[in-house]
Amino acid sequence: MHIPDGYLSPSTCAALYAGAALGWYGGLQRIKRTLATRMIPLISVFAAFSFVLMMFNLPLPGGTTGHALGVTIASIVLGPAGSILAISIAIAIQALFFGDGGITTLGANCFNMAIVGSLVAYATYRIVAAGAEITSRRRLLAAGLAGYVATNAAAFLAAVEFGIQPMLFRDASGVPQYAPYALGVAIPAMMIGHLAIAGVAEGIIAAGLVAYLQAADPALLQSTSGLAPGATAACQPSMRHPQRRWWIAIALLAWGEWSASSFSSAEGRARIAAASQNRPAPPVAPTGLQRLSSLWTSPVPAYAPPVLKSTSFGYFLSGMFGVGLVIMLSLALQAYLQHRRGAGQPG
Amino acid sequence: MSRNRAIAATLVSLTRALGRALISERVARQRGLLQALDPRVRVIGLFALVLAVILSDRISVIVALFCAAVVVALLSKVSLASLAARVWLPVLFFTGVIALPALVLTPGEPILAPTGGSFPVTAQGMSAALLLIARVETAVTLTTLLILCTPWMQVLQALRAFHVPQDVVVMLAMTHRYIFLLAETAGQMFESRQSRTVGVFDGATRRRMTARTAGVLLSKSVELSNEVFLSMQSRGFRGDVRVLSAFRMRSRDYIGLVAFLVAGGVAVWIGRS
Amino acid sequence: MLPIFEVQNVCFDYEQIPALRGLSLTIGRGQSVALLGANGSGKSTLLRLLDALCFPSRGSISFCSEPLTTEQLRSDEFALPFRRRVALVCQNPDVQLFNPTVFDEVAFGPLQMGWLSAEVVARVEETMHLMGIAHLRDRAPYRLSGGEKKRVALASVIVLDPDVLLLDEPTAMLDPRSQSQLIDLIQSWKSSSKTVITATHQLEIVEDIADRVFVLEQGSVVAAGSPQEILSDGDLLLHANLVHAHRHTHGTMTHSHPHLHSHARHEH
Repeated sequence: MHIPDGYLSPSTCAALYAGAALGWYGGLQRIKRTLATRMIPLISVFAAFSFVLMMFNLPLPGGTTGHALGVTIASIVLGPAGSILAISIAIAIQALFFGDGGITTLGANCFNMAIVGSLVAYATYRIVAAGAEITSRRRLLAAGLAGYVATNAAAFLAAVEFGIQPMLFRDASGVPQYAPYALGVAIPAMMIGHLAIAGVAEGIIAAGLVAYLQAADPALLQSTSGLAPGATAACQPSMRHPQRRWWIAIALLAWGEWSASSFSSAEGRARIAAASQNRPAPPVAPTGLQRLSSLWTSPVPAYAPPVLKSTSFGYFLSGMFGVGLVIMLSLALQAYLQHRRGAGQPG
Repeated sequence: MSRNRAIAATLVSLTRALGRALISERVARQRGLLQALDPRVRVIGLFALVLAVILSDRISVIVALFCAAVVVALLSKVSLASLAARVWLPVLFFTGVIALPALVLTPGEPILAPTGGSFPVTAQGMSAALLLIARVETAVTLTTLLILCTPWMQVLQALRAFHVPQDVVVMLAMTHRYIFLLAETAGQMFESRQSRTVGVFDGATRRRMTARTAGVLLSKSVELSNEVFLSMQSRGFRGDVRVLSAFRMRSRDYIGLVAFLVAGGVAVWIGRS
Repeated sequence: MLPIFEVQNVCFDYEQIPALRGLSLTIGRGQSVALLGANGSGKSTLLRLLDALCFPSRGSISFCSEPLTTEQLRSDEFALPFRRRVALVCQNPDVQLFNPTVFDEVAFGPLQMGWLSAEVVARVEETMHLMGIAHLRDRAPYRLSGGEKKRVALASVIVLDPDVLLLDEPTAMLDPRSQSQLIDLIQSWKSSSKTVITATHQLEIVEDIADRVFVLEQGSVVAAGSPQEILSDGDLLLHANLVHAHRHTHGTMTHSHPHLHSHARHEH
C-alpha cells in the first residue's frame, strides 16, 4: 500500500504532508504529556517489531499468503497516539533506509496508514470490545475486525488519492499527469486486493496477537481496554504492570507492498469494470481480457456514471472526503478521551 | 510443502533486509561525488531534484533528470548494474504492470488497435503510461542514490539539522538498530520451526503457528524495550537525548547545493512552460 | 572501611514472584566483591537495585549514606553524579548497545552528562583505544562479534571513569582469551581502588576478581567471607547450586563428588 513517488501530484503530496504533520504533532504532544522517557525505547522496539512482522508470510484461507501490517496491534497495545508515531517511524525507515515507498509521498503514506489506520483500528476495537473482559473472545473479534476495517480504510484513502489524480491533473490534450486511473478503476483495483487478502491477513494477525497476549501477558491489553486498571507493582522495570499513564507505542508498519501478484490480478479484474467507463462493452471480450475476467468476483458495478469524469465532482469528492475524515477522526478522538476519563487519570 | 515455502519466503525477506543494509554501507564508504558532499546538501539537493521530477509536465525534462541521475551515480561510484537490478528493472516491472491498462483505458485518440478495434491504444494512454514510468524510475533512482551514499547515521543527523524533533530522531535511530536484532531473532525462530516440524499442517494450524511466533516476538520486543530503557537510564538518560552536532559546510558543499537547486529550478521552469 | 553501599533487609518482587527476600549486605569503598549464586538467585536484581534502576518494595539501600529512592533519583543534582559514579554492565550486550555506531555508543554517556563536544570526542577516542575498539568506530552493532560487543559495552561505561563498577556475568559468552583480558581489566580496577561488584556463577574466576564473596540463594545472602573460605566449603556450594556432583572418570577410576568443570581438570 505504499505509494511511490510519481503517482501523486505535488499539490496532493503537499496537502497530505500537511494532514500528516497535524497527526504527528498531535501524537508527539500526547507522548510528551505522559511518561515520555519510557516511551522512546518502547515505541522504537515496537516499531522494529512491526517492521519484522511485515515480513512474515501468513498463509490465508483459500491458499494465498498475505502480509500483516501491524497497525492494529500497535493501536491496541499502545493506543492511537503512540501507534501514529510508531507506524510513521516504520514508514519513514522503509523509505529512508530500505528505499520502499516514496519521499514526496511519505506524508500521504503516513496519513493513510499511520494516522487514519491507527485511529480507525482503535475506534473499531474500542467500539466492538466495549466492556468485554480482557480475556474474552469478543476482544479477538474486535481485534480482527479492527484490522480488517483499518486496512481497507487506508487502502480506500489511497485509492481515492490515486483516483482523483486524472480528474484534477491533466494536460491540455487530456493526458493524465500522475496516476492515470479514475476513481471507477482505482477504487475497485485497490480494494479487491485489500478486501480479499491484506485486510484478512491484518485481521488474523491482530486477533492472533491479542489471543497470545491474553494468555501470556494480559497486562499489555489493559491500557486500551476501557476497564478499570489493575494493581500496579512497586517497581516496574517491566511493562507487565502498566501504570496509570498511557503507553504510547511504536507503530507497526509494513503495509502490504505493491506486490505485482496481488495487484496485477486485481488490476486485471478492474480493467473489465473500467473498460465500460469509456466505451460501450464489446460484444465479445478479447481472449486476454477474458482470462482476466474470470478472476473478477467483485460486486462493483460494471459502469461508472459520467459525472465521475467531471472535474467539479472531483473537487466535491475531495471535500466530502475531508469532511468525512474529520468526522471519523473526531469520533475516534472522543472514544479515546472517554476512555481516559474512564480510567480516571490525567495524562 | 507450501508450509515450508511460506517459512522459507519469510526467511528470505528477513535476510534480504539485512543484505540491503550491508550493500549500502559499502557504497557509502567509496570516495565519490555524492559521498564528498555534506549530508544535508545531499538530502536537500536530491529532494529538490525529486520535486522537479514531479513538478515537470514534460517527459523530456524528466528523462533529462534521469540522465543527470545516471551521471551522478557514475561519479559516485555506484554501479549501474546494481542500480538496474535494484531499481530500474523492478520499477519497470511493477509500474509497467500498473501502467499497462492505461494504454487502453485512457480516453483520447486511438493510435493502435492490437485487439482488433474494440480496445485501441490511445495516444493519451501511451503518454500517460510513459510519463508515469519515467517519473517513478527517475524519482526512485534519485532516492536510492541518496540512500546508497549516505550512512544511516548521517541521514539522522541531516534530519536533526532540519529541525526534526530530537525525540523522533532518537526513535528512528533505535528502531533501525533493533530491526536487525529482531529480524535475526525472528529468523532463528523460523529456522528452528522449520527443522522441528514434520508433516504437513492445515491452513488454520499454520496460521496459528505464525501468529504464535509473532506473539513470542512481540513479548521479546516489549521485554527488550524495558531493558533498553533501564540501560539508557543507567548511563544518564533523563528524557532528552543529547547528540554531537557534526556538520560544517565547506565551499564544495555550497557549490553542490547551488548546482542541485539550479538544476531543479531549470527543470521545473522548462517542464512547466 | 568506609561503606559505599548499605543494603538493609531488601525485598523485591517481579509481578508477585519474589526475587529478593530480606537481603542485607554492606560493601566497602574500594572493595572488590563477588556475588555468587546460581541463575535465579537474585544477583541481577540486586545489581539493578544497586544501580537505582529499580527500588525495593521493602527495606532500604543507601549509597555513600544517601538513600536510593525514586524521589532522590528525580533530581538531576543527585542523579547525574550518581549515574556517572556508578556503572552497570549488563549480561546481554545487545540491550546495552542501542546506538547506531560504536562511536555513538561510547559517546552516549558523556553526552548525557553534558560534557562539551571537544571533551566528549577526546575521551571517547581515548577509551576506544584503551579497549582496542578504535578500528570499529563507525561499525553498527549488528556487525560486531560477541567479544567485540562486550568490549564496546565496557567502553561505553568506563568512558565516564566511574568509581563503582557493577558487572553482571561479565565472562558469559566470552572465549578464553577475552575472558582473561577481562580479568586483567578487573584487576587493574582493583588496584586503582575502584569498587568492583561482580555477579557470577563461575567459581574459577572468583579468586582473581574478588576479596570478598557473598553467596546468594533464593533472594537472600546465605554466606559471606573471603574467597578461600567460601570456595573450600563444598557443602555450601553444592547447596547453592554452584557446583554439581556426578559420576566422572579419572584415568581408570570412576567416582562422584562435588566439583566444577573448568579448563583445568581437578586433581586428587
